[in-house]
Amino acid sequence: MLQEESDISLIIAQIVQKLKGSNLYAQLERQAWGSWEKRILKSLNSMCTELSIPLARKRPAGDQKELLNKWNEMGTDEPDLSLFRPVYAPKDFLEVLINLRNPNYENGDSLSFRTHLGLIQVPLKVKDIPELKECFAELGLNTGQLGIDDSTQVPPELFENEHVRIGQKVLAEQDSAAAQQYIRQGSPTALRAELWALILNISSQPEDILYYEQLKTNVIQHDLLVDSLIYKDVKLTASNDDYYFVFEDYLYQVLLCFSRDTSVLSHFAYNSASPPKSYIRGKLGLEEYAVFYPPNGVIPFHGFSMYVAPLCFLYHEPSKLYQIFREMYVRFFFRLHSISSHPSGIVSLCLLFETLLQTYLPQLFYHLREIGAQPLRISFKWMVRAFSGYLATDQLLLLWDRILGYNSLEILAVLAAAVFAFRAVNLMEVTSLAAAEAVLADLSTLKVMPLLQIFLFATVT
Amino acid sequence: MSRVSVPCHVKGTVALQVGDVRTSHGRPGVLVIDVTFPNVAPFELQEITFKNYYTAFLSIRVRQHTSMHTPAKWVTCLRDYCLMPDPHSEEGAQEYVSLFKHQSPSMTFPKWLSHPVPCEQPVPLLEGLPDPSRVSSEVQQMWALTEMIRASHTSTRIGRFDVDGCYDLNLLSYT
Repeated sequence: MLQEESDISLIIAQIVQKLKGSNLYAQLERQAWGSWEKRILKSLNSMCTELSIPLARKRPAGDQKELLNKWNEMGTDEPDLSLFRPVYAPKDFLEVLINLRNPNYENGDSLSFRTHLGLIQVPLKVKDIPELKECFAELGLNTGQLGIDDSTQVPPELFENEHVRIGQKVLAEQDSAAAQQYIRQGSPTALRAELWALILNISSQPEDILYYEQLKTNVIQHDLLVDSLIYKDVKLTASNDDYYFVFEDYLYQVLLCFSRDTSVLSHFAYNSASPPKSYIRGKLGLEEYAVFYPPNGVIPFHGFSMYVAPLCFLYHEPSKLYQIFREMYVRFFFRLHSISSHPSGIVSLCLLFETLLQTYLPQLFYHLREIGAQPLRISFKWMVRAFSGYLATDQLLLLWDRILGYNSLEILAVLAAAVFAFRAVNLMEVTSLAAAEAVLADLSTLKVMPLLQIFLFATVT
Repeated sequence: MSRVSVPCHVKGTVALQVGDVRTSHGRPGVLVIDVTFPNVAPFELQEITFKNYYTAFLSIRVRQHTSMHTPAKWVTCLRDYCLMPDPHSEEGAQEYVSLFKHQSPSMTFPKWLSHPVPCEQPVPLLEGLPDPSRVSSEVQQMWALTEMIRASHTSTRIGRFDVDGCYDLNLLSYT
């Protein structure tokens, strides 16, 4: 008995350790992350003092009534947001990642062939193409894919009809694990909303709708500075996008409620970041008046609303849209803007991208470095946003199918490398960073699945 | 069974080098840490816990006295136990590690007394695939544990973020 107990406690200890993301508490991350978080806090505080606006306040009764009335058309509002600025943009975050150093890393005084030529200097373990082929086996040349084998030239009897039939069966059985396996080959458009909900374990119960209504009440009652940041972000990004501007009102309804949702705080148990803290006015230092700000602990950055926008194509009922987004955030998206050594964390994705490029497209990588166009400087923004706003929506949804199917964000780094591979000929001819950016500015015509398939399975290595 | 930590004295690390001369270029890959248990009555060691810092492999050797008349013997109880699957990357580099008695050949560690060990046999550490029935019973017990945790967890469905209805804040705190 004793033996089994100690076996189990060892296994549990190991699992807990892995769940904590073993290196989340590593010294280097704590230091880098600590100073980055402090910068964000300072930025927000200085905005408060400059604009003489409190972080949070109770909304006057008249304003509450007005907001309730125009809840479904907040986009028509044109508040003066000129003085607000985003707390940070992806490129600021990239600078922090570039400066991460491993305290125990010694690569000698002289440059050797093992020196990192890319921007990321932390030696994390990333997969190479043979390992990726094994990991993403269902994307292989011999397996049917939506995004490739459902094109108009291919008769639907060959793959598409059967795939749809299987999808309907999976939904009928309400089998979440089967859905996750199934969606690796892509989801039919008609089934996607239900499949994602099944995989994310979202079912709209009456209490979920009530919960959303309670969040809405919180938005009405309290006015947060973060709300203005959200407004500004939506106006700057989604509203300017041809595909997403129609969903502007939905975005406010989701993001304002998201900021008030304290259940999001639980994801900080496995996130290396910590939620910002504040004290009720006049009670500075008194722990019983300490609160988190914003209530969900997440400060939005420039482009944050693009995590929500694609979901608006799938879900039209606000509380369901909200639940789906929240689950996607606490499972995946938070890893794209926090520092950790997790394989799906943004640091690993950046290193995976750079390593793939350096290993399999060495000439291109070297050329771009020589002209001062480090590839990561161009691809970083794609990965941080999970390609939202850069790809056509149908392609983006096919990509996010695979994120759900493989429960990993590594596909973002592979796609980024595949895009560079696809445009390699043009890129070899450019002579400046600006010209390289121009070659890669428009991804809206790209077909995601063929690119991934060719890069992983059809490139001679 | 309650667990009590045993006071021990951990000496500084000593690098193992070939030859007498300390070269400034050579960076030895093997370091030795001596741990002694002064002034402690005979005890049964159950577990060793430590935090790793970029060590890839660990070996543990124990010096045991046999009877009065034979000299003390060094016995290996752990050889090349892998702490970092890839020494050149981060995984496992700063993890907390617990090593249990059952991972070494069954022995107790009374203070300088011994159980005779037939011959020095390094423990087969990489056991290959575990026994399926054992794994399934362990998984079942783990599942039971998680169910217990889930049942006892009081889910406050709608969390309050304000204090008595008040959420007036001026600035963020840096501490």
